[in-house]
Amino acid sequence: MGLLDHIWLGIVTVFTADPVFSVAGLPISITIVMVIMGFFFGIFVGATPGIGGPFAMSISLPILISIFGFTPDALLPVLGFLVGIMKGSTVGGAVPAILFNTPGTPDSLMTTLDGYPLTKKGQPGKALRVAHFSSVSGDTFSDIVLITCAPFLAILVEKFLDFPEKAALIILSLAFVSAVVGSNVWKGLLAALLGLFIAYIGTGEDGYPRLSMGSDNLANGFPLISAVLGVLILGEVFKAFEDMWREMRETSAITNVEVKGDNKLHWHEIRRILPFIGISASIGTMVGALPGIGNTLAATLGYATGRKVHKDDPPFGEGAIEGIAATEAANSAVAGANLIPVLSLGIPGNISAVFILLATETIGGFNPGPQVFRLVPDQINQEMVYAFGLFTTMIFANGLNWTFGGVFMRWMGIMIKIPKQRLLPIVLLLTLTAIYVQQTSIFAVYVTLGFGFLGYFMRKLKLSVLAFVIAYILANNLEESMREAFAVTGADPWFLFAGPISISFIGLAIAVVVFFARNQKDLS
Amino acid sequence: MSALSKMTTRLAVAGFAAAAFMATSTAQAEWKPKGPISVMIGFAAGGGTDTQARLIAAELEKRKGWKIIPSNVSGRGGSVMARKLKKLPADGLSIGMAVTEPFGYGMIATKKAGYSLKDFTFIATTTSSQMGIVAKTDKGWKTFKDVIAAAKKGKVFKFAGMSPKHADINFLIEQKYGVKFNTVILRGGRKVMNAITAGDVDMGYGAGIQTKAVKAGKMVNLASGLGVRLKVSPNAPTLVELGIPHDIGAKFLFIAPAGIPADARKALADSIGGIINDPSTKASQFVTKNYGGPDVVTGAKLDALMQANVDDSKVLMKVMN
Repeated sequence: MGLLDHIWLGIVTVFTADPVFSVAGLPISITIVMVIMGFFFGIFVGATPGIGGPFAMSISLPILISIFGFTPDALLPVLGFLVGIMKGSTVGGAVPAILFNTPGTPDSLMTTLDGYPLTKKGQPGKALRVAHFSSVSGDTFSDIVLITCAPFLAILVEKFLDFPEKAALIILSLAFVSAVVGSNVWKGLLAALLGLFIAYIGTGEDGYPRLSMGSDNLANGFPLISAVLGVLILGEVFKAFEDMWREMRETSAITNVEVKGDNKLHWHEIRRILPFIGISASIGTMVGALPGIGNTLAATLGYATGRKVHKDDPPFGEGAIEGIAATEAANSAVAGANLIPVLSLGIPGNISAVFILLATETIGGFNPGPQVFRLVPDQINQEMVYAFGLFTTMIFANGLNWTFGGVFMRWMGIMIKIPKQRLLPIVLLLTLTAIYVQQTSIFAVYVTLGFGFLGYFMRKLKLSVLAFVIAYILANNLEESMREAFAVTGADPWFLFAGPISISFIGLAIAVVVFFARNQKDLS
Repeated sequence: MSALSKMTTRLAVAGFAAAAFMATSTAQAEWKPKGPISVMIGFAAGGGTDTQARLIAAELEKRKGWKIIPSNVSGRGGSVMARKLKKLPADGLSIGMAVTEPFGYGMIATKKAGYSLKDFTFIATTTSSQMGIVAKTDKGWKTFKDVIAAAKKGKVFKFAGMSPKHADINFLIEQKYGVKFNTVILRGGRKVMNAITAGDVDMGYGAGIQTKAVKAGKMVNLASGLGVRLKVSPNAPTLVELGIPHDIGAKFLFIAPAGIPADARKALADSIGGIINDPSTKASQFVTKNYGGPDVVTGAKLDALMQANVDDSKVLMKVMN
C-alpha cells in the first residue's frame, strides 16, 4: 500500500465511519459531528475570559473516553473533538481582547493593543474580521507545514536514530523545555526533575513497585490523567481563586460600544495585512515546531517583528489592522506545527499537544512516533491511516473556521458577562466529576486534588508546570529507552556518547541550558 | 400409609422441590458483573495481546452488555500486571490478559516473583503463539544457521527479545556455539518488530506478529521457537533441532485473582471462548491470521496445563544453573 492509499483511507475513515445521521441522503460520520461540536465549543471557551482551550480539552477528554471507550474506533472522534477545540479556542480568544480589552487567552494579549483602539473608534467588526482572517490563515499555513513535514521528519528519525540517539533526544527535549519555559532555567529543570521523580513512583522493571511505600494504591503509579489535570487545571483554578480573593475585584462596568463607520474587511486591506500574516505565520510555525515555547511567545515575536516592518499609518498600538494580523497569525500558527514533534517523535511541545498525546495513550491503537509513517508493502499501516485521519479532521476544522468561524465568533462577545467567580467553581466541579466518571475511583479524585495543590504551589514558586507535565509524560519513555540503549550496546556505560548524533544531542542539551542561564544573568 | 411414611414422603417431596428450585435458580441466574470489568493488558498498546484483548472486550460489551475497561499495564512480559492483578478483589470485575510465560519460566526465574500459580484463577486461553526468531529478508540470512556462521566470525549482533526467557535462550545459544549477542528486552512484540524494521536490532523474537511480514517476503523466520516447525516457514529449524532443547511457545490467556466465584469463572470462560471460537468475530479472525488459530483451554484442563508449564520451566532453570 502506497502513501496515497493511506491518505485516501484516512480521509474516507473520517467522513464515512460510523455515520450518526444523514443530511439529504449524505451520511454524516461521528468524527465529523465531533469536530463540529468541538470547534464551536472551542470558540465559546476561547471567548470566555478565564478559561481557554486547555481547560476545555482537559474536561472533555475523560468524558469523551468514557463515552467512546478504548477501542481504536474511538480515536478519530475523540481526536476530532480535541482538534476542534484547539482550532476554535484560538480564534475565540481574540473576541474579548478586541471588544473589551480583556484577553480571553494569554496569547491574545497583544491583540488588545490594536484591537481595542479600533473598537473605541467604532470599528469592532473590522477588528474581529481581521483577527479571524489572520488567525485562520496562520492556522492553515501551519497545518500544511505539519502535513508535509511530519512524515518526512519521522522517516529521517527512523533512519538515523538508534536506541542511544532516541534516549539522547528525549534528554535534549526535556532540557530545551526546562530552559525556555518559565522564569528561570534552574527552576525549569527543577520542575522537570520533580515531574520525573513523581512519574517514577510505582513504575519500572523492578519486582517491587518502586517508591510506593507498600501502598497498593500507589503500586500502579499515579493515574496519568489525574496527575496532568490536577497540575494543569486545578492548580490554575486554585491560583485564580487566590487572585480573586486578593483583588476583591471591583468589576469594571462594561460599556456598550457604539458601532459606526466602516466595519467590513476590504480587498485592499487584505492585501495590506497579507505580508504581516506571512511573516507571523512563519514565525508561529517555527516556534510551534520546537517543544515548550508556546503561543504567547509566538504572538509576542510576531507582533514585535510586525512593528519593525510596519511603516504606514496608523502606527501599531493605535488601531493598526496590521498589528492584529501579526499577533493572530502568529499565535494561531503554533497549533498545527506543535503536532510535528508529537507525531514524528512522540514528544509533546505544549499543553494542547499533551492532551492529544494523552488521548492516544489512553485509547490505544495509535502510538505517535516514527513508526507511524512507515510504509509496509501489501499492508495497511493502521497508525498512518489514523495520522492522516487526524490531518483530515484538522483540514475540515479549518474549513469550518473559514466558513462559519467568523460569524460565530462575532456572536461571542456576550461571554465577557460571565463572572469568573461563577465560572471557576464550575470548572473545578466539572474537572473532578470528569475524573471520577473516567477512572471510577475516589482515589483518582484525591490524587487530582493533591496534584492541584502541587500545581498551585508550583505557580506560587514560579516553577513551570509545563516542564513538570512534559517531564511526567516522557519519564517512562526516557527510562525505557535508556534501559534499551544500555542493553543493546552490550552494557556500555557510555552509550550516550557512542555516536556523533547522540553526542551532539547531549552537547546541545547542555548548550541550551548554559545559554539560557547566561542570558538570565545579563537580564537581571 | 402410616403417619411416619407420610411424613417421609412429604419431606422427600419438599426436599425434591427445594433441590429442583435450587437447580433452576442456578440455571437462571447466570453470573452478571456488578460493575464495569477492568481488563489489565500485560503488554503495551498496539501489540498482539493488546489487539486481542481489545477486540474481545468490544465483542463482550456487544454480546453481554457488560461494561469493559481495558488498560495497558506493561512491563516484564506481563508480570508487572500479574503482581497488580493478584491484589485486586476476586469478584470477576478485575481480570487480566497476558501470555503463559510469566506464570511459568518468568515466575521461576525471578527470585522474588511476588506471586505463584496459587494467586490466580486461570480463565481461558485464546490462541497459541507462532514463536520464531525473525530478521529482515535483506539481511540475506535463510535460517538461523547462517546467523551462527556469521556470529562465529566475531560479529556481535543486536538481538531483541520480549522476556527474560529469550535472554536465557540466547545465553544457551551463545554457550553452545561460542558466539556473542547483545540482547535487549523490549516491551511487547510490536516494539520488537519496529526495532527490526527500523534496523535498530539485527533480529528478534516474534510470537506471530511477524507472520504478515514473513508472508509478504519482507521478513524471514530464521528458527522456530515451538516444538515443531512453524506453519508459515517450514524451512526454519526448531530450537530443539539447533541443539537448544526447549519449547518457548506460549499461549495467550485471560486470568483473574485467585478465588473468583465459580460461576464468574465459568461465565467469563464461556463468553471469551465463544467469541474466539466464532469465526465471524474480529478476534477470531485476528488469531487465525496472526497466530495458531483459536485454541481455547478452560477449567481443570487449563489448571493442568499451567502446572505442566511450571514443571517444564523448572527443568530449563536446572540446565541454566
